[in-house]
Amino acid sequence: MAVEKKMAFIVDKLPYKAETSRLALTHAIASQSVEIYLEDEDTVIPVVAFVGEGVLNCLKDQAALKLYGVTSLEGHIKNALLLDLEVMVCKEDLEKYGLTNDSIIMDAEEIGGEVETQVVPFDDILKAMDSADHVLYF
Amino acid sequence: MKLGVFVSQYTQTNTTLERIKADKLGIILVQNAVYHAGIKENGKASPILDKDAEFFALTEDLQSRGLSPDNVDGKVKVVDYNDLVDLIMNDYEKTIWI
Amino acid sequence: MGKLTIGCFSSLVGSMTLDFALKLSEAAIKKGHTVDMWLSGNATMLSKKGQRKFQDYSSLEASMTEMLGKGLNVTACEACAEARGYHKEDLIEGLGRKSMDWYLASCFEADRVLHIGGE
Repeated sequence: MAVEKKMAFIVDKLPYKAETSRLALTHAIASQSVEIYLEDEDTVIPVVAFVGEGVLNCLKDQAALKLYGVTSLEGHIKNALLLDLEVMVCKEDLEKYGLTNDSIIMDAEEIGGEVETQVVPFDDILKAMDSADHVLYF
Repeated sequence: MKLGVFVSQYTQTNTTLERIKADKLGIILVQNAVYHAGIKENGKASPILDKDAEFFALTEDLQSRGLSPDNVDGKVKVVDYNDLVDLIMNDYEKTIWI
Repeated sequence: MGKLTIGCFSSLVGSMTLDFALKLSEAAIKKGHTVDMWLSGNATMLSKKGQRKFQDYSSLEASMTEMLGKGLNVTACEACAEARGYHKEDLIEGLGRKSMDWYLASCFEADRVLHIGGE
């Protein structure tokens, strides 16, 4: 019988000064190829959530690739959306930093993505952690 | 959920820790977070210890820093690596490291 | 007995996080548990052979090699290692090198996961 396991990737670190938030996204995206190690039909269902300072990873118009030659977190978030990963951003933390939905990456429409970022209360992120089999806190 | 939270840093504020809720919450102080168990700032215990949780501190990390396991805050149970294994494998369903 | 997967993302020198992870692994294996350890990001430093021992720095090659003999399964992230100039020929004997999906598969099969993020 096929087994699904949900893994929550929670990001509360700032980008660029450390590798942590980038690795959260690359590991979450690796869920798309994990089947090679699993039994037939078994799957990992990832959910990515940005909390605390981590919400600043989600700002639009990041130019790290142009200026430093390093893929931006924006690029990784768009790839996650393109691959239909569930991406959540903490509403209270966005408000704390004076940000709105217009300030952050809400979709990856220009590269063919169909799902959107969900801006949700922290309690919803706690529920996602609760329903996950494992929580990976980056 | 039964959640074990490993805290490894000595900071007075942590927005995740402040907001986190669980049916059973364990806060496991390791590395520099053991100062929360063994040091009082201006005579006051660390605000982390006000959280509704069970508290543990790793004896090896207390002793490494010159803190006596006999002098930790009364809310904190001193544990060793064997105990940590039991906390992870038996007492809590999930663990996070912050 | 269960399976514990430990994800390590901190560097070998400076944080003592890998010292913690190895001691925890040792205690878990002694109790009969199975332990997978994933080294990613700066933690791939631990996978490089030829670590010279100084008492001022964490030096874990010998203790990790001993733990490999006791059943610890250690795998390093291939891309993270290559980005740091640690090539296949630099890998400590007995360690694996895989892509990030290996870690997720290990978590999938684990009863418990302790994911220790980076600095």
